[in-house]
Amino acid sequence: MTRIVTAAILAALFALPLFGPHPFILHMLSLVAISATVALGLQLLLGFSGQLSIGQAAFYGIGAYASGLLSTRLGLPFPAAFAAAGLAAALASLLMVPITRLTGAYLAVATLGFSILVYLLLKNEEWLTGGSFGLMGIPRPSLFGHVLTQPGHAYLLCVSVAALVYFSLLRLERSRFGRAINAIRQNEDAARACGVQVTLLKSQCFVIAAFVAGLAGSLYAHQVRYLAPTDFTFWKSVEILIMVVIGGMGSLFGAVLGAAVVVLLPEVLREVGDYRMLVFGAILMAVMLFGETGIAGFLGQCLKPFSKR
Amino acid sequence: MPEALLEAVALSRRFGGLVAVDAVDFSVRAGAIHGLIGPNGAGKTTLLNLIAAALPASGGTLRFHGEDITRWGPARRARAGIRRTFQNLKLFAEMTALQNASLGLHAGTRAGIFAALVGTPGQRREEREIAHGARRALEFVGLAAQADVVAAKLPYGHRRLLEIARAIVAQPALLLLDEPAAGLNATEAVNLAGLIRRIQGLGTTVVLVEHQMDVVMTVCDTITVLNYGRKLAQGAPLEIQRSPEVIEAYLGGGDEPPAAHAVA
Amino acid sequence: MYLADLFAAGLAIGCVYSLVALGFAMIIRATGIIHFAQGELLMLGSMSALSTLWLMPRLPAVLVLVCGMIASGVLAVAMEFLVYRPLRLRRVPLMNVITATVGMSILCINAARILWGSEPLRYPELFSSSAYGIFGVRVSPQLVWIMLFGVVLMGLLQLFLKRTRTGLVMQAVAQDAEVAQLMGANLTRMMVYTFAIAGMMAGAAGVMFGSLFFSFFEMGFVLGIKGFVAATLGGLGSLAGAMLGGIVFGLIETFSAVYVSSAYKDAIGMVLLIAILLFLPSGLVGLWKRRA
Repeated sequence: MTRIVTAAILAALFALPLFGPHPFILHMLSLVAISATVALGLQLLLGFSGQLSIGQAAFYGIGAYASGLLSTRLGLPFPAAFAAAGLAAALASLLMVPITRLTGAYLAVATLGFSILVYLLLKNEEWLTGGSFGLMGIPRPSLFGHVLTQPGHAYLLCVSVAALVYFSLLRLERSRFGRAINAIRQNEDAARACGVQVTLLKSQCFVIAAFVAGLAGSLYAHQVRYLAPTDFTFWKSVEILIMVVIGGMGSLFGAVLGAAVVVLLPEVLREVGDYRMLVFGAILMAVMLFGETGIAGFLGQCLKPFSKR
Repeated sequence: MPEALLEAVALSRRFGGLVAVDAVDFSVRAGAIHGLIGPNGAGKTTLLNLIAAALPASGGTLRFHGEDITRWGPARRARAGIRRTFQNLKLFAEMTALQNASLGLHAGTRAGIFAALVGTPGQRREEREIAHGARRALEFVGLAAQADVVAAKLPYGHRRLLEIARAIVAQPALLLLDEPAAGLNATEAVNLAGLIRRIQGLGTTVVLVEHQMDVVMTVCDTITVLNYGRKLAQGAPLEIQRSPEVIEAYLGGGDEPPAAHAVA
Repeated sequence: MYLADLFAAGLAIGCVYSLVALGFAMIIRATGIIHFAQGELLMLGSMSALSTLWLMPRLPAVLVLVCGMIASGVLAVAMEFLVYRPLRLRRVPLMNVITATVGMSILCINAARILWGSEPLRYPELFSSSAYGIFGVRVSPQLVWIMLFGVVLMGLLQLFLKRTRTGLVMQAVAQDAEVAQLMGANLTRMMVYTFAIAGMMAGAAGVMFGSLFFSFFEMGFVLGIKGFVAATLGGLGSLAGAMLGGIVFGLIETFSAVYVSSAYKDAIGMVLLIAILLFLPSGLVGLWKRRA
């Protein structure tokens, strides 16, 4: 049943450009796919292994700037810049490995501190990043020498990456690795008693989440084609956290839904615009108070009567 | 002379000024069911935690199969074949019984991130083996019917059994049971005793901390008695029941001495 | 002369950090949660006091401080009542409580932005502008007053906790809530008091910081983190540690800012934070205890 639904959704997503939607809609949906990619990484980190990181924007930013700089300064073709972005973010996350020893709020604060450091670097090292003036003129993505000028093609690229990340993480979730990190979240002592190398696996989650965020950053850079340090502050990290929380902690599909809500809501409710973050803060608290399973959990409850078993 | 599977020499644990385990020499024969008893506060659970590396030792050495494992952490000991259950159950509450048991086989298997992503034949085979092994462990403890029930929803007695299933699924050389009979009724306790015997039949050595004397006296081959962190006595169940020092230790502490629950 | 200025500045900002850190420490001791919205209590106290000052420009400095403290105290109690208490009663997992405090933080910051705008706001002169002479060294009066207020407030808090009945009960609850309840402590009321005091400390810090620099809607964010750094440096969960950590961090930051570029001034705190969490988690107080 779920396979059919998933296939249908995928087909719809990929077929969308054929219906000639307005380029702005395609642009927004591309941003949703990009945000979903970052959120999926955080879901692995937070929802599966239970590590609260409020610093994912750092890796998103590192990936974005790496890809942007490599393509503008060194003229690297997109696929190489894209891969390098993921690698750069993953390498940076190795600095965080000692932090994985920490738990709960202490880990969260440490990730916050790290992301502030990265932000300061992005803002101050003008010779490298252009500082507050930003990085301009980032080229559009290109595949095999063919530049993706059409918004529909860029959209397909973003959706493909998001889908690839989604299904990869789905495989991981159902594997020995996925069981182990879920075990770590539910009871770390018991996981150790089963021989699970807790610190190693936690670190691996960090690196994967960072890698994925870096890839998303690259897509972002080539989509909006202009980067400023203010795109990658603490607030961005919070936005990503909200996506995971609203969508439902522990649900990959939830992360995607959450991304859609967070990106599209301000557009759908133009009036909300200025009050956007205010509403989000309130929603965050409300979800924690009332329905921590998020939208995905809520949908799951609604669909329960219909599922076989 | 049967060889010692586990050998602790002068093992100690201090908490600031308090000495919980005081230079205890403790030796476990391979294949035995070895009980660890003592009045409240004697240090039995602490000693068990030292063996499991849930706590680091303040002094002394610990040898397993002749190898010095004193500095090893809990995960490493688990991988080497020392598994344990916890006094206040530490199950993975959101997972099913089968998934809980599967985690017991994490250490023996290898498929990592790459294998999972690509889906190598080796990884698929491992998953089948894990599922198979987990089911067999559940059958062994009598939980086969509950395989797909979420752990949090299992009744207390079943949760205790599940924790044991998870600990034995990898066929460990040494199984540490921390008050496995706590909260069990008379029937369940008798079943537990039978289960521990069957585990011994598999070739696993068992060390068992327990307050319920019926279980201890029925099931153990040897018993070590601790008091105030020191080894007070060691011997067969009958000897321990008759030992004046042991009786004194329990009476002095206000607990009932072991003989009150003598099983002939 | 220059060194004296730096020293005074370091002590003054250190007092600000100490007050915020005290709030963190008290809430952690009582509830175990890191109150991410602590910085926002500072900001709201600062802005509220400023608004009061706009309404009544002749208000003496002490009363401005009190107004700020009252505002933050009330807000803190509101937070406790509306959000944290229901969460506690539902026994929600820690992760969710932390996320809720993040949500609270966002709410406060954006509410402030809407109410007071996004421009930084200057405090009118609260103190006379001529410098005082102390031991023949000229020090800015603002710094002196801030240190004075800071020390007095911290002293009052200590007196309250150690000498009054309520204070002692609060300490008992922080150490062991179950036993304290068995002895008749009203847990709910103690929680309210804890948050109220933590809020008031933050509000005072906000007024002090505002009068030294300026107020703006995001000020609580970085100051909150720095207050947390101070609390961690001193030893998380220890009140003495919070006070000590604040002063020490204030001095470290002020002196290193001279030798490090001002753009990276905030980075000092972040690096210090990560270093402490990794290498000295029990803080300075823990170090002291280990020697004893």
